[in-house]
Amino acid sequence: MIKSVVSKEYQSLQKEIAALQEKWKQLIDPETVKPNLDKAAMSAGVPAAALTAINFEIPLFLQWIEEINAILVKSNPELEKKLESISSLLNNEIAIRWIEEAFACNHDYFARFALENGLDEWVPHFLAETAIRPYLQLIAEKVQTAVDLAVPGAGCPVCGEPVRLAALEDEGKKVIHCSRCQARWNAKRLECSHCGNEDHKTIQFIQIEGDAVSQIQVCEQCNGYIKIIDTRQYIEKPSAAMLDLNSIHFDFIAQENGYYAVGERKKEGVS
Amino acid sequence: MTKYVKYVDVTKCDGCRACMVACKNWNDLPAEPTDFLGSVQSHAKTTADTWNVLQYIEHENGKGDLEYLFRHSSCFHCTDAACEKVCPENAISYTKYGSVVIDQDKCVGCGYCVQNCPFEVISLKTYKDKNGKEYRKSHKCTMCTDRLEEGLQPACVTTCHTGAMEFGSKEAMLPKADKRLSEIKGRFPNANIYNPQGVGGTHTVYVLAEKPSVYGLPENPRVPASAIAWKDYAQPIGKMMLGATTMALVGAFVTNRLFNKEGRSESQDGGGSHE
Repeated sequence: MIKSVVSKEYQSLQKEIAALQEKWKQLIDPETVKPNLDKAAMSAGVPAAALTAINFEIPLFLQWIEEINAILVKSNPELEKKLESISSLLNNEIAIRWIEEAFACNHDYFARFALENGLDEWVPHFLAETAIRPYLQLIAEKVQTAVDLAVPGAGCPVCGEPVRLAALEDEGKKVIHCSRCQARWNAKRLECSHCGNEDHKTIQFIQIEGDAVSQIQVCEQCNGYIKIIDTRQYIEKPSAAMLDLNSIHFDFIAQENGYYAVGERKKEGVS
Repeated sequence: MTKYVKYVDVTKCDGCRACMVACKNWNDLPAEPTDFLGSVQSHAKTTADTWNVLQYIEHENGKGDLEYLFRHSSCFHCTDAACEKVCPENAISYTKYGSVVIDQDKCVGCGYCVQNCPFEVISLKTYKDKNGKEYRKSHKCTMCTDRLEEGLQPACVTTCHTGAMEFGSKEAMLPKADKRLSEIKGRFPNANIYNPQGVGGTHTVYVLAEKPSVYGLPENPRVPASAIAWKDYAQPIGKMMLGATTMALVGAFVTNRLFNKEGRSESQDGGGSHE
């Protein structure tokens, strides 16, 4: 593995969580997830997850939250105090609300929930997000063949997550990977995924000396950036989530240089 | 630990030499201008500053047709490496990936490895220290062990645009070689897999279009018996049991044998026995 700024312990915690999510995904009855692929809506940038009817199994969701708590406490026993009140707080009603708000990425709701219940701010959103991902990943699996390209600016065509990671594969094809739902789709090498800019003069690449595989593509039109990693050089290809995690120093570099994970503004006269 | 193999299918190579450039680039090796050698080939063989060389061979096949053969040549990373056996300073070692590397700090430039490599891929380079005194170090391909440590493939493999080189676990690469061999037998009846067992197999495995000798490779390379005697018997026994004088005699004998390699048995005037 490429030298990473992320500690070994945190990497293995993330791997454990990913393995759990994979296990949970197998537990979901595929019949409860019914994507309704509306071509017109998708070509307008509506994520497939928003067009999917899901019949959530609340007991599973609650059980998953318990399991995440268990591995968090195992990796850091100090968290036990902070997490022990969760199971008493959660009931069916709140679980449904959590699922809805996590789908909508409503961070304000979770921040408020944490404040009202005396929890650390990160706790409710992290738990809810971790526990809905198996559903997102199942949707991505089901619709993958229908997802070839994305609408610039609309984020992941499956879950709506902003684009931040692309891999170079095969003969140099740029494939964007969503580290949230594991969907992947093709993109033009010279195109900003945030604003659709294709002007080579305003698309730049930032590289770090000594790192032969990674670069940051930045767009001077919208000030957005994405990380591009040449996975052809790897002996074994790491998962998108691990690539994203281990290249987190690139996010710092990009953001310190004034670029954003979501493109911000559009200059006039650019389509 | 998985042992890796660099799989080279010479029949897919188009002779672009990008592997040579990628190697120089990654390993920071200086350019080495050469004279015209009578063919497109740039260097006669690998050197201390050129760790891989693309061979261009004009070969007349059985039907009287000209075959233009290419081969990416570099260290084979033998499983039983003669260089490792003969190194008196233990400067040459195996890595957990299967590659064979030289520790430049330990190397004293004696040249035994150069003499004993069955594939002639190790070379000495002469340096000058700050007092103007000359010293030598031996160099060869490392299979980009520094890249392997980071989970990356060797630079030459990464850059190969025809897919003539692939990199992966031994278990994954050897079946690929078998499959490819069966595909090309019609076009190249003499095709073969070069993974010589005389040196315990290698970590660079070739699919060759013609017999190894056409490429200047030994048909059945071996670790010289004297090299085994030196490393496996004389050194440990000598250090444990024998007196200094006896050890010197054995050492001298073995050293003498090392330089009397098969096919170059020129007399060693004033050789090791007078040490």
